[in-house]
Amino acid sequence: MLQVPMTDESAQASSMCTDSAAAQNGGSPTELKEVREVSGEDENKELRELLLPDVRNLPLAPPSAVEVNFVAYFAPDFMKPGHDHYVYRHPNGLCVVGLAPTHVAFRDEGGVTGVDFNVGKSDRSAIKVTGKRKKNAQHFESNTMLCKVCTKSDSYVVRCCVKGSLLEVNERLIKQPNLLNSSADREGYIAIIMPRPADWLKVKATLLGLEEYKRLKEQG
Amino acid sequence: MADEAAVDSPLDVEQQEAARVIASTSGGDADSQAFREAVRPLPSDAVKDLLSAGVCRRCIIRLFGITEPVCSTPWLSPSIFTELTEMLENSDGNLIDGQSSESEHLTNLAEPVICSMCLGILQFYHDNNGQLSVSKDGLNDLAASIAELVKQQGHQIDSFSLEVSVPSITLDNERVIMSYMNRKYGSQLFSQERSFSECICLKNALKSLITAPLEMLLGVKYGQGPLHIRLTYSESSKTIEKSVEREFDSTSKRRKTGNENGLETVELLNSGVGCITTGVGRTVVTDTSLNGLQHHQSSDFSKLLLEKVRRPCSFSFHCNRDPIYFGGRYLKFSRNVSQTCWMIDEERMGEASVEEIISSCILLMCRGDKYKFHAAGREDIDVRMLGSGRPFLVEIQNPRHIPSDVLVKDIEEKINSSRDKLVRVKNLKLVGSQGWTLMREGEAEKQKEYAALVWISRPLEDPDMLSISSVRDMCILQRTPIRVLHRRSPLDREKIIHWLAHT
Repeated sequence: MLQVPMTDESAQASSMCTDSAAAQNGGSPTELKEVREVSGEDENKELRELLLPDVRNLPLAPPSAVEVNFVAYFAPDFMKPGHDHYVYRHPNGLCVVGLAPTHVAFRDEGGVTGVDFNVGKSDRSAIKVTGKRKKNAQHFESNTMLCKVCTKSDSYVVRCCVKGSLLEVNERLIKQPNLLNSSADREGYIAIIMPRPADWLKVKATLLGLEEYKRLKEQG
Repeated sequence: MADEAAVDSPLDVEQQEAARVIASTSGGDADSQAFREAVRPLPSDAVKDLLSAGVCRRCIIRLFGITEPVCSTPWLSPSIFTELTEMLENSDGNLIDGQSSESEHLTNLAEPVICSMCLGILQFYHDNNGQLSVSKDGLNDLAASIAELVKQQGHQIDSFSLEVSVPSITLDNERVIMSYMNRKYGSQLFSQERSFSECICLKNALKSLITAPLEMLLGVKYGQGPLHIRLTYSESSKTIEKSVEREFDSTSKRRKTGNENGLETVELLNSGVGCITTGVGRTVVTDTSLNGLQHHQSSDFSKLLLEKVRRPCSFSFHCNRDPIYFGGRYLKFSRNVSQTCWMIDEERMGEASVEEIISSCILLMCRGDKYKFHAAGREDIDVRMLGSGRPFLVEIQNPRHIPSDVLVKDIEEKINSSRDKLVRVKNLKLVGSQGWTLMREGEAEKQKEYAALVWISRPLEDPDMLSISSVRDMCILQRTPIRVLHRRSPLDREKIIHWLAHT
């Protein structure tokens, strides 16, 4: 997605609306001349030119927000064969954890039907993390259980993969487990974890980059 | 005062002063008349005592609080000093003795003596790298050097203010001498309905001395600024050690006398003048400690007299002008320019910064020392800033040159016509204090306009257009984006989408 520029609303609000109105009317800017002084009009013209790119230069589909903002790592066969997790790391250190496309759960017919965060000693979806210092966040190891993912035939345990504080679990998955089937790498993420810098360096050594992961999975 | 021209030789000055004394003896100024009236009844033995204690003539005058009837005028005319000293000397011929060689009046001094009260500050004696720097007309020389600095810096000002910092020991000296004088001559003065409590403090004395020559040389009036001239006197470390050592006997004791107003007073036996450090921060010489010294007073005072080796203060002066502010709006066309200078591990992120592009240009034109860039809000490095632009404020510290409106337009032109076309500035102008209110308003204004390019999987049809443009004040809940989640609270925040439009 293209990054968003920001304009100050005062002078521009109306012009944007009227611009679009003009566009809808198949329009030339002639109707707008009465409304605006000439210098203002030049500015708006320039603004439009800046905002509207040349369609010929645009890719067919833009890179996704995940691609642009995160570095992708993978933990294949985490503690059990076929349990492929991804760890998307943001430059600020936060890690988004989820199911990689090659996870065995997706092979079951009907795909994922349910997600349960009540595993191990607590219900992960019940934890409330507050404040800048992330109080009440639980410190988990990489092999700590995050949740259970169920399909028609089986259920699979999803783990943290990264040692750190659990900031958030995606509780939408409880009501909408289908998110895992449709977009496991975006809206269907499992959790957000905040590792300490030292812990991250340790686990990073065990993870695969995108290319390595692809190559590995192509073989199998 | 014929002080606009440089003072050539001390002799000339003396002659001018003498001439003026003769001229005004016939009762010229109402002011000097009133001054002479005020000075006449001063007890000459008190004055003699002070002179022999090595107190300089200006300190004597201010001890008696003499500006009372005549505001600051007596300070302006050196002739009046001469007059006073002459009067005092004439009233008691004995003054013109070996002891009076400590008075500044005589120009043929083998070795100038530093005032025991002001440590040479009002005598304009300074420590110049270990050497005593003395000039015959210290006051005007000082004014001249200050004026020289201001001129050399090229400051444009219409008024100046003075700030003086003096070592605390001078305050202690003042109190000791005042209390001694009060005890010895208090009853004498009381009958004349005056006391030593009217003493003019050192800082005010110095300020009133230096103000008029400076006004003359700089051509502007004394006031609140915008130029601040700071005079800093600090004691050379040797001064403390010497005086404390001399003042304290080898048998001196320090004894805590309990708390008074939360401060611990240390009663010093065998002490006269000195810095009392209790480790509580402030140096306090209270009456209790002095009372205990009563029987030592005279011997201490004489110790003060014997203490001839007093180090002059080290002295420096600086001038600094109030900062000026430029306001305007900026646009950012590049997706590789951060707002402020952004460094990670000594390396610059992005190719440039809005702050540096705009501020360095302004700083150059104003010949200032430093800049500070403030903006009403910010945007990411990879986000453009379009439309009417974001309000900003550039603060220039210690500017030597205030640009005219025309020059300000030139600055704007220069920034906008740079080859890179990374940043543009609009409405650049000098702003006063209202600049800050504009900024606060800009920050408080939370309505923002965004434009985004959207890829859609199928062609848009009329019903789609309608549903877009019919959005009015749609309330949404925004979860804290992961991008900032590491430093902000995880919360759901209400947002309102006021309208949507497509192009």
